[in-house]
Amino acid sequence: MRRGAWIGIGLVAVMLLVLPPLTGFHPYYLYLVSTALLFGTVATSWNLLAYAGQISFGHAAFFGLGGYGAALASLAGSSPWLAILLGGAVGAVGAAGIGLASARLRGAYLALATLAYAEIWRGVAHNWTAVSGGGAGLIGIPPLPTLAWLPLDFTRGRAGGYYLSLAFLLLVIAVFWGILRSRLGLAFAAVREEEERAGLLGVHPLPWKILAFALSGFFSALAGGLYVHMVRVVEPDLIFSRYFSILPLVMATFGGLHTLLGPAAAALGLYLVSELLLHPYVPAFHQLPYALALIVVVLYLPGGLAGLFPSPRPSPPSPLSSPPVGERAGGGGRHGAA
Amino acid sequence: MSLNTLAQALVSGALLGCFYTLMALAFSMILGVTRALNLAHGDLIILGGYLGYWLWSGSGLHPLFLVPVAAAALLPLALVWHWLFHRLPEPRELSSLVLTFGLSLLLQNIMLALWRGEYRLIASESLTGSLSLGGLRLNQGRLIVAVAALLVVGGLFVGLTRTRWGRAIRATSLDRDAAALLGINVDEATRTTFILAFGLCGAAGVLFATLHYLYPAGGIELTLLAIVLTIWAGVGRLRSVLAAGILLGVIEALTLAWSGPRWRELVVALMLLGSLLARSGGLARGWSH
Repeated sequence: MRRGAWIGIGLVAVMLLVLPPLTGFHPYYLYLVSTALLFGTVATSWNLLAYAGQISFGHAAFFGLGGYGAALASLAGSSPWLAILLGGAVGAVGAAGIGLASARLRGAYLALATLAYAEIWRGVAHNWTAVSGGGAGLIGIPPLPTLAWLPLDFTRGRAGGYYLSLAFLLLVIAVFWGILRSRLGLAFAAVREEEERAGLLGVHPLPWKILAFALSGFFSALAGGLYVHMVRVVEPDLIFSRYFSILPLVMATFGGLHTLLGPAAAALGLYLVSELLLHPYVPAFHQLPYALALIVVVLYLPGGLAGLFPSPRPSPPSPLSSPPVGERAGGGGRHGAA
Repeated sequence: MSLNTLAQALVSGALLGCFYTLMALAFSMILGVTRALNLAHGDLIILGGYLGYWLWSGSGLHPLFLVPVAAAALLPLALVWHWLFHRLPEPRELSSLVLTFGLSLLLQNIMLALWRGEYRLIASESLTGSLSLGGLRLNQGRLIVAVAALLVVGGLFVGLTRTRWGRAIRATSLDRDAAALLGINVDEATRTTFILAFGLCGAAGVLFATLHYLYPAGGIELTLLAIVLTIWAGVGRLRSVLAAGILLGVIEALTLAWSGPRWRELVVALMLLGSLLARSGGLARGWSH
């Protein structure tokens, strides 16, 4: 499709997404769509990290750090807006930390390290009772305030959270779009495709990796901070839940790795199908679409849904479908083994 | 901590370690033969445990009789996993992680639907007593589990080292292409590996259900434990796995004695991250060197 057509579709989609709170959606449905938009934000930031070649199994860590950071700041009396931003900073630092610590790990081993990292934070939140409230978590997080300078319809009730999650999604998509068009995107792609050769060409992989982790962690943590202000409680098993690691991965791979809009579209589609169509009728199996989507993508559809639409430019090979040069025989674990 | 508490922790940890060995072997066998990491490993064990619980509460049989039944009940899943893993694209470790992350979610959902997320324990009276041995009190259930686990591991050891199919599995695990060149039927060895590994998972599940409460999301911790053991011991080294399993059991028992059960999950995750970082992802060594 031509570029103009894509822009047109995007504008129509955004306009449709702006409407629901104004047309008197039931608050529950408003909440569901907001959550879907937040998952879209996390999935897009997951994809940003994957663009730099790092497959994360632990985005729950970043989401949860943002959630706890924002909740603690809010409870300490800061304004929720500032608290969410602070949560984002906490998530960025936490993500940069695991990126730095696991600098020598690649592929599956990095994935395992991030999985362990999320479990570690869940354990810390369970045990550091003085700060995190332990297993019971923290309650009494204030709701998002209404804004005097905006019409009331935009910030009242669930509408404030809805528009903010839409804004976060558009923000992370815009940032990813900018990265794709800049030298930063080239550096990320170089790190992803061939780390050693990138090093020889003068692109030192480590700073770019850490930057990718920090950016991805920041946006995931923003989503986490907003989420705790929507549900107004924070518990270790809720906010560091493995779903916040699994779902972004499913959505991004299903929508199309490295594509700009695929993860967000898949997030909205999969989450809403699961919650609106399946949850009321077969509650036990409403998460089935995620598992099936993963199986389909891994086995049959290496490019995700985006692979169904031929793109004008050759799309970059996905790390899930193409063997890295020279690693086919030895496996990913051989590099850097001391 | 008194000397007696320490000795107590060492002994009960070593007993637990025998169970960990059984549990980790299934993971490391599949990794060895298929180069695929099965993140749903712990969920399969929990599933075996739930099946065992269901049969036990329905029939009242001694739990040890249910070990082979649960092992057999998981075999159809072995064929499903084999079919899926056969089609994994390169790089296999990463794509297997992604695929089995989804399968783990699926299994958790199924268990949640079937058993409603309640905590379950095979609380058989025959397992609750304790023996006194030179001042140490041994939990009878833990002792029986350890003996059963050691018997299964011993049987597997004999099978893998003394029989034709066992040698075929070890050769395939060592170098798949070379094994195929030498006329070993690697496809059959792979299928046998899956059947054995899933049988081990089912057996481990019933034993686990007599030690710990089951809940549908409890599998991840077992998976992480299995990965830690595989990193420590390397792939395909049975005796190292036994040593690592006992070490892990002792570490866990000492953690429990020092600081209580709350820190257990955190310590497991820290050990996984620490082991990965210390060996730079050396999980692969068993078959790449």
